[in-house]
Amino acid sequence: MEYDIVIGLEVHAELKTKSKVFCSCKNQFGSTPNSNCCPVCIGLPGALPVLNKKAVELVIKAGLCMDCEINDKAVFERKNYFYPDLAKAYQISQLVKPICVGGKIELKDKTVRLNRIHLEEDAGKLVHSSRSIGTLIDYNRGGVPLMELVTEPDISSAEEAVEFLTKLRSILVYSNVADCKMEEGGMRCDVNLSIKPKGSDVLGVRSEMKNLNSFKSVYRAIKYEAQRQIDILEQGGKIVQETRKWDDNKERSYAMRKKETSQDYRYFPDPDMLAVNISRELVSKIKDSLPELADQRFKRYVSYSLTEYESEILTRDKAYSDYFDKALSVYFEPKTIANWFLTDVMSKLKGQDEIKISPEDLALIIKSVDDKVISTKVSKEIFEKAWEEGASVEKLIKELSGNIEGEELRKIVETLVAENEKAVSDYRTTDQPEKVLRWFMGQVMKMTKGKANATQAETMILELIKE
Amino acid sequence: MDISKLSLLEIVEKLRQREVTSEELVKYYIDRIEEYKDYNAVLEVFEDALDRAREMDEKIKQGFEGKLAGVPVIIKDNILYKGKKATCASRFLEDYVAQYSSTVVEKLIESGAVIIGRANMDEFAMGGSNENSAYGVCHNALDFDRVAGGSSGGSAVSVAKSLCACALGTDTGGSVRQPSSFNGLVGMKPTYGRVSRYGIVAFASSLDQVGPITKTVKDNAYLLSVISGYSKYDETSKKEEVEDYLSKIDGDIKDLKIGVCSEVKELVKGLPVEKTYFDLIERLKSQGNEIVEVSIKDLSLVMACYYIIAPAEATSNLGRFDGVKYSRREKGCQDIDEIYIKSRTSGFGKEVKRRIMLGNFVLSSGYFDAYYNKAKKVQQRLKKQTLDALASCDVLLLPTTCGEAFKIGEKIEDPISMYKEDIFTTLANITGLPALTLPCGKGENGMPLGMQFVGKEFEESKLYNLADYIERRRSEWNMI
Amino acid sequence: MKEIEIEEIKRLAGLSALEFDDEELEKFKGEFTSILNFIEEISKANVDGIELEYPTHDFDDLRDDEAVEGLSQEEVLANSPSTKKGSFCVPKMMEE
Repeated sequence: MEYDIVIGLEVHAELKTKSKVFCSCKNQFGSTPNSNCCPVCIGLPGALPVLNKKAVELVIKAGLCMDCEINDKAVFERKNYFYPDLAKAYQISQLVKPICVGGKIELKDKTVRLNRIHLEEDAGKLVHSSRSIGTLIDYNRGGVPLMELVTEPDISSAEEAVEFLTKLRSILVYSNVADCKMEEGGMRCDVNLSIKPKGSDVLGVRSEMKNLNSFKSVYRAIKYEAQRQIDILEQGGKIVQETRKWDDNKERSYAMRKKETSQDYRYFPDPDMLAVNISRELVSKIKDSLPELADQRFKRYVSYSLTEYESEILTRDKAYSDYFDKALSVYFEPKTIANWFLTDVMSKLKGQDEIKISPEDLALIIKSVDDKVISTKVSKEIFEKAWEEGASVEKLIKELSGNIEGEELRKIVETLVAENEKAVSDYRTTDQPEKVLRWFMGQVMKMTKGKANATQAETMILELIKE
Repeated sequence: MDISKLSLLEIVEKLRQREVTSEELVKYYIDRIEEYKDYNAVLEVFEDALDRAREMDEKIKQGFEGKLAGVPVIIKDNILYKGKKATCASRFLEDYVAQYSSTVVEKLIESGAVIIGRANMDEFAMGGSNENSAYGVCHNALDFDRVAGGSSGGSAVSVAKSLCACALGTDTGGSVRQPSSFNGLVGMKPTYGRVSRYGIVAFASSLDQVGPITKTVKDNAYLLSVISGYSKYDETSKKEEVEDYLSKIDGDIKDLKIGVCSEVKELVKGLPVEKTYFDLIERLKSQGNEIVEVSIKDLSLVMACYYIIAPAEATSNLGRFDGVKYSRREKGCQDIDEIYIKSRTSGFGKEVKRRIMLGNFVLSSGYFDAYYNKAKKVQQRLKKQTLDALASCDVLLLPTTCGEAFKIGEKIEDPISMYKEDIFTTLANITGLPALTLPCGKGENGMPLGMQFVGKEFEESKLYNLADYIERRRSEWNMI
Repeated sequence: MKEIEIEEIKRLAGLSALEFDDEELEKFKGEFTSILNFIEEISKANVDGIELEYPTHDFDDLRDDEAVEGLSQEEVLANSPSTKKGSFCVPKMMEE
C-alpha cells in the first residue's frame, strides 16, 4: 500500500536579545556555568518576571515576516511540571493568546500554514556526567528568550521539512530575529508525524520526536519514523501516540519513558505578569521597519541581471548577501562583483566561513581593474595577499599599479601598435572595438609584466589606433 | 520613659530629639523578646541589630533624617533580607539565607530602620491562627491560651507586646488584618500593587500584599508611606504616586459616605461581632455621616472564589521548592523524583500540603473550567459589584473577624471552620482594594474586635482619616 | 455531597510531588471531600457571558533590553544542598 506522510513541526529559536526574557541577565552562550544568573532565572523565592520589550518586538517581527496576524493582547501562562532544568517548576509560555497566530511560509511547490508563534523562556542546561558526579545543572540558558513556531500538518516529506526549516532559518536570520546557530542549540525542532493511506483524509496516530538540533537529524528522523510506522501498519500492528527520542549516532529513535503525570501541565495565566497590549500603531511601525528578506534580495539581484543561480547562492547565507550589498555600496558593478564573489571568494571559503577581505577592499580591487589602474593579473595577486596575509589593499594597489609610465610607456605602446597593423585596422572596422582595445591592453601588460600604468596606456593606445 | 507605651510616631520623635538612642531601643526590645519568648512571636533576632542601631545613632547625630531613622522593626519571615534567614516558618526553608533583599526591606533600610528580627507566621502564610508554623504556635498577646491569628501572627504579637516599634506582615486573604484585630492593633492591606512584592515569598501572587501592623492609625499611615511604591522588579506594582498618608489625616470626615452592605448585615447576624458592627454604624450615623445601603450580590461566593484562586497560584508558586536549588533535600535520595517527593513530603506541613493538593485539583485538566476559570470570572464580577457599591459611597464597613481570637487547638483539626474565619477579609484581596482594620470593641471574653473599612483603589488616605477619627473617640464611645 | 476517590487523591499527589501513606490518604480523603464541597459553592454561579479580562500594560511599559550583572556563581549556589563544578547537582539522570 502507498502512504501519505503527514508532518507538523514545532520549531524553537533563541531570540537575538542582549538580556534574558524575564530578567536582565546576559543572553550569552558559552559562559562559565551559572554565571549569567540572578534571583529570577534561578527561581529564588520572591523573585518576579519582568518582560523584555525587545523579545516581544522580535516575535512580532518574525510574525510579520511570515504573514501572521498579531494579537492585540499577548497573555503569558505558566506551564507547570517538575524537571531540574526548570528552576521555578513552571515555564512561562503562552497558550491562549500567543503574540502571533496563523501565517505561512512559501516553499517552492507549496505553502506551509503556520498555527502560531509565541514567546517563552528556555530551560537551563543539564550535563549528564558520570554516575559518581551525577547530573549537573547550569541555569545560564534558563530564561533565554525563545520563540516557538508551530506549523499546521502541511509537510509531507523529509525533504520538504528540510526545505521549510531552511527557509524559516533564512527568514529569522535576515530579519535579525535569531542567529539560529544549530550547533549552540539556537534552533531546535520537534517533529510530529503520522501516516495515512494515500489520499485518505483520516489522520493516523502521531508520534512526536523531540529536540532535533540539526537539519540532518530532522531529515533522518523523519525517514526513519515514517518507515517505522509503515512497517507497523504493514504488519497489521497499531501505532501508539508517544514521544520518541532520536539517537543521531545509532540512527534510530526510541520511545521515551512515560510519566503518567507529565501530560497535565495545568496552564494558567501567570499572576506575576500583566498581559501586553499590542497596538496596531506598533505593529505597523514594526512592519515599516522590516528588513529585506532573502526572497526580496534575490529579486533585486535578478533585477541587476545576475542569474537566478548567482542570486540564489548570494542570498543563501545572509553574511554573503550582506557582503555583496556592502561591496555594491562602494562600487556598483553587480555583475563583476558577483563574479568575483562567486569564484574568487567562494573558492577561498571552502571549509571555513570567515571572509578575510572586507567588502570595501574587494570593491576597491575590482574598481581598480575596471579603471585600468591595475591589471587583472595584479588584482588577483592583491586579492591573494590581502586574504592570506591581511595586507592593506589600498597600499598594494599603489605599489603594484603601473610605475612604468610617461615616455618609457609611450615607447612600448608605439612599438606595439607599429607591429600590429592588422589589429589596428580591425579596430577601425569591427563593431566591437573595445575587444581590440582590450587585446592591446593585454599586450602592454604582458610586455611590462603588469607594471604599466593602465590609464595612461589606454589613452596612448587610443591616440595611436584611432584615425 | 516606658518604651512599651510609645507609639511609632512617638518613638520617631524621641529619636529625633535624641531623647532615646536606637541602641537603647534595640537593647530594650531584645530584652523584651527574651522576656516574652514563650509567646513565640519572634523566630530570630538578627545578630547585627545592635551594630546597625549604633550605626544609625551615628548617622542621626550627623543629621540623617530618614523617616524611620533608628526605628527597630520586625518583619514577617517571608520577607527577604539579604544575608538573613527567611524560612516562611517552614521546615523546607530551615536553612535558607536570602541571596537578595526585597523591595520593602530596601525601603525600610533606606529610611533608616533597624530590622531587628523575623516574626513567626503560618507556614508559607497559609492559615489564620499561626498554629501552622513549623517552629511552634505563636500565642495571642492578650491571652496566652488564644491564637495570635494569622498568618502574620508573629508580627502582630511583636507589636502588641512591644517587641518592636512596628512590624510588617503580608496579607493574601486577611493575614495582616485578622491577627491585628485579634491583638487589638491597626492593620492595613493596601491596594494591590501599592507595595512591591519583589522579594516576598509568594503565596498567591495576584492577592498578596505587604501591610503595616501598628498600634495606632497614624503609625500605620506613616509606615505605609515608607514601604509603598513602584518597583521595576515587579510588573504588578503600580506607578501611582505615593502619598504622605499621615499628612492627609485631617480629622474631617463629615462628608464621608459609609457603605453598609446588605449581604454583610445578613452574614453578621448571630456572630459574636454583630453588636460591635451595628454599634459602629449607629455611632457614625449619630456623627452625621451618611450611611448608604449597598449590595454585593455575589458576596456569598467570595470564599469559594478565594479558596480556588489562592491554592491554584500557591501550588504553582511552591513548585520551586523542589530540593534541587536551595535548602532542604532529603538525604539518601537515589534519583530526582525521590528528591522531589521526599524533600517536599518531609519539608511541608499539613496545611501547605492540603492547599497544594487543592490547587492542583482546581487546575488539573477536566476541572480547570469548572473551578479555576469560573472562580476568575466570579472574581471579575465581584470586583465590579464592589466598585459599583463604592460608587455610591466612599468606604465600605465590614467586620474584620467573626469574633474574638479563638482558643489554640479549637479549629486546627477542622480546616473548613478555619477557612470560614476569612469570610470578611478575603473580599479586599479578591477585589484588590485597600482595607484597614482597627479595634472597635470587645467580645464577651474581653478580647478585641476589629472593624474593617474597604476603600477604592489608592484611597488608603480616606481609610486612615476615618479610622483615626474613630480611634480618637474610642474611649469616649466605650469601645475599649 | 461530592466524594473524592483515593485514586484521585493519588493522582493529585503525583502532580504535587507529595506522598501519603495509607492512613494519611484516608484522613486526607475526608478532609478533602469537605474542602471540595466548600468550594463547590462556585458551581452555583452563573458566569455565562462573562469574558475574562486580563490586567494589562502597554508595550512601552516593558523593560528595555539591557543586560545587567546578576549574582556571582558563588551567590547563585549559596543555598544549594549539592553543587559540583560550579553547577547544581542531582543524582545522574537518564538522558532523555
